Amino acid sequence: MKNRFPARGLVLLATLAACFVTISVTNRKVDAAQPDVTWSGQIAPLVYKNCTTCHHPGGGGPFSLLTYHEAQRWGAQMVTVTQSRFMPPWLPEHGFGDFADERRLSSEDIVQLAQWVKAGMPEGDPATAPPAPKYSETWQYGQPDLVLSVERPFHLPASGVDVFRNFVLPYPLKQTHYIRAMEIRPGAPQIVHHANVLIDRTASFRRAHPTQWQDGVPGMELEVDAGNDFDPDSHFLFWKPDTPVLVEPAGMPWRLDPGNDLILNMHLKPSGKPEVITAQVGLYFTDQPPTKQPMLLQLEHDSALDIPAGARNFVVEDEFKLPVDVDVLGIYPHAHYLGKVLEAWATLPDQQKRWLIRIPDWDIDRQSVYRYREPVFLPKNTVLHMHYIYDNSPDNVHNPHDPPIRVKAGNRSEDEMAHLWLQVLPVNAKKDGPDPRLLLEEAWMRNKLAKDPDDPIALYNLASSLAGQGKYADAVAAYRHMLALHPGDERALNGLGAALDDSGDWQRAQNVFSGLVAAHPESCDGRFNLASLELKHDQASDAEQQFRTMLKQCPADAGVHSGLGVALASEGSADAAQAEFQRALASDPHDFIALYNLGDLALQSGQFPRAVELLDSAAQQRPGDADAHEHLADAYAQSGRLGDAVIQVRAAIRISPENPALHALLSQALAATGDLQQAIEEQKTALHLAGNDADGWNNLGVLEARAGRNTEARADFLHALQIAPDHAQARANLGHLPPS
Amino acid sequence: MTGLAIRALLAGMVMFAAGTGRLATDLDGNAIDQLAPAGSRAVVLFFAASDCPISNRYIPEMQRMAKEFAARGVRMWFVYPNPGDDAKVVRAHDSEYAISTPTALDTTQTLVQMAHVTITPEVAVFVPDGSGLREVYRGRIDDRYIAFGRERPQAQHHDLEDALRAVLDGQPAPPPGGPPIGCSIVTLHP
Repeated sequence: MKNRFPARGLVLLATLAACFVTISVTNRKVDAAQPDVTWSGQIAPLVYKNCTTCHHPGGGGPFSLLTYHEAQRWGAQMVTVTQSRFMPPWLPEHGFGDFADERRLSSEDIVQLAQWVKAGMPEGDPATAPPAPKYSETWQYGQPDLVLSVERPFHLPASGVDVFRNFVLPYPLKQTHYIRAMEIRPGAPQIVHHANVLIDRTASFRRAHPTQWQDGVPGMELEVDAGNDFDPDSHFLFWKPDTPVLVEPAGMPWRLDPGNDLILNMHLKPSGKPEVITAQVGLYFTDQPPTKQPMLLQLEHDSALDIPAGARNFVVEDEFKLPVDVDVLGIYPHAHYLGKVLEAWATLPDQQKRWLIRIPDWDIDRQSVYRYREPVFLPKNTVLHMHYIYDNSPDNVHNPHDPPIRVKAGNRSEDEMAHLWLQVLPVNAKKDGPDPRLLLEEAWMRNKLAKDPDDPIALYNLASSLAGQGKYADAVAAYRHMLALHPGDERALNGLGAALDDSGDWQRAQNVFSGLVAAHPESCDGRFNLASLELKHDQASDAEQQFRTMLKQCPADAGVHSGLGVALASEGSADAAQAEFQRALASDPHDFIALYNLGDLALQSGQFPRAVELLDSAAQQRPGDADAHEHLADAYAQSGRLGDAVIQVRAAIRISPENPALHALLSQALAATGDLQQAIEEQKTALHLAGNDADGWNNLGVLEARAGRNTEARADFLHALQIAPDHAQARANLGHLPPS
Repeated sequence: MTGLAIRALLAGMVMFAAGTGRLATDLDGNAIDQLAPAGSRAVVLFFAASDCPISNRYIPEMQRMAKEFAARGVRMWFVYPNPGDDAKVVRAHDSEYAISTPTALDTTQTLVQMAHVTITPEVAVFVPDGSGLREVYRGRIDDRYIAFGRERPQAQHHDLEDALRAVLDGQPAPPPGGPPIGCSIVTLHP
């Protein structure tokens, strides 16, 4: 029977943020003797390439530059803002990291624009002008597969300070979908500075703001509970006016499950009139699950943020040594209004320094995620560095305090942050080693704990990453460490119990869960874990009682019905069990345990097509579950579909290649299809894995005899009898062989 | 800071504007020949552009000041100097932004030249001086915008308001602490 342990897993806190520039003016002399610069000749191509992505009707820019007359209206302005490099918006210093979509004019472009304006903005021959790019008035990326809208329109006042607000968009579907692209239509793009989307796997933010979420919740950053499964939040879902569509690289879609929420964190700028914002998110699906699983890593040192009033060059640093080889795909530096110079680099194992990014004049209003043109390969033992300089003097025009005051870390805009996020894809991982993301997680959490030894989230995540790697004793020690600092922490107790059980100490695990339920009778997770453990250890009636209590106390949950079903089935109440499994499926058609167990019941009662249907659904829900494939193989075999049975046993073997019973089963299925030679090989593999199996030797003998290899068959039967002298079949089979 | 030096030179200039003929037009095409009705103690010209985001962001603040200072004899005008801002465009804009302050179309840019402004948003304050108007302040409204990309979360120094209070108290208006930031006025004669 399968048991679910919701406690195993990590809490990942994702922080969000929101986000100005001074520049050196390119002071080249404009030479009036240059050949004529005209709109049609040089300027339109430059504007279409660099400006109109935002500056078109309905776009994120405040006015359109699509036509000659529009550009003429703004000509003088274009010179000012390009010379100061305010436009196009681009913070990173050229040459410190090679980024895709670098939005930066060359010095020659800027000179040309100035020449054009100085010459009176001549149009040139309109017939030679390139056609203006076309922008859709609705979805740029086509009609989405699913559109999510904010619950209620948000009313932004006409004036005042910038607004940072979080809107919850519940994912309404009952099926998991993979997302290959996302487009955000903010409703009033010109007042939205940027938007960041977070996936809230557990709807934790919505639950934390039950009466407020429909209207949006104020705040620059937010934290969400990533839930109980190790599922590192792996994608930057960052919107800014020039990138309305976020298309994921091939093989890297992201996932939405029933019950998930998207949280749209928006930075809004009052426009001078009241604005109504009805943001929409368009999702584009793909059938293809991800083949690559990147992970977001964070360097940070918020605890070092204690910036005295007036300090001009306050430095905050962090370092992180990579435990595995990675490709860095993207980077997101983040500070609030006091940040001045934001730098990140890598020191390679050979001490070579490689710049990841340098922002010489930070501006929170122009913050962005930057994606590398080519992945940046960093080998194991590379040290990542974050080096941020803050300016809390009155000379920093972004300083929210007048006069400056002492500033510490926090998620209000007037507090500070020192964060650096990197999207990394582990590469060159050992095939049979632990998930490299668990190694990254462990190293990340150890780094956090080195800075803040009592950080409960880091302690918990460290313990979980250890448990995930199968280092149960270390995990138990880490949970105990956390519980010493935070006695009675429900999630840590659940994690401790699960790690104890996985380490083989189920009695102590049961004590932990029992203690948890006694201290917190309302703890649904604790009770569920206790019930599941009782199920696993033949205490079905105790488990039944726990599940029945949960049906009264906990939210309707398919898992409780299916757990109760398992308990009832163990107690011999097959009909009652079946009813509970049906209830589980009514609440969640994808509940694995219900599908698996109903499939098994169908198999036992000879309803083979029904068994195939249910077990096939179960195997699709958990493609990594060897038992599901094995039972499905059985159902196929019973239905006479031997070829399908062979495929399913092979699938099970790919998951558990060391399981001798699976190889023996494959041998039987292959023999039934007539493939004697392969059948013999598989049986030999089974006996190679577990040689002390009299039945196995007897079966091998039968196969050898059928293949006409009587000598080998004789040796096999004798081997069986050597292990079990009373093995009647082996003895009889031996007698059937022709004399040697 | 060459701008400041020029400003200082202009501070004493007397603009003989009132009563000298058509200065601008209202939204119905009628000529505006008097900016300061009898009894006015000061006139504020707010140079605006319907399509300039920074100019638009100041509308609520300017409307607040128009109301607040009206009782003390200050008359404010929203002045639209750009060629594209004709009566139709400005009427729609005034309605969109709920603008109740008197509006002037500076189609000939007479007011621009009289005030020596170059940017929207930019303000000019005049006081009656004999039969004319004397410019006593010109420049930014406050210090929220220091430069493009240098924006304070909120203004710390309210230059226009300080200037008005000084003038109403019979004191010289302190000059602005920095240049106006916004969109260049599209000049009629480049």
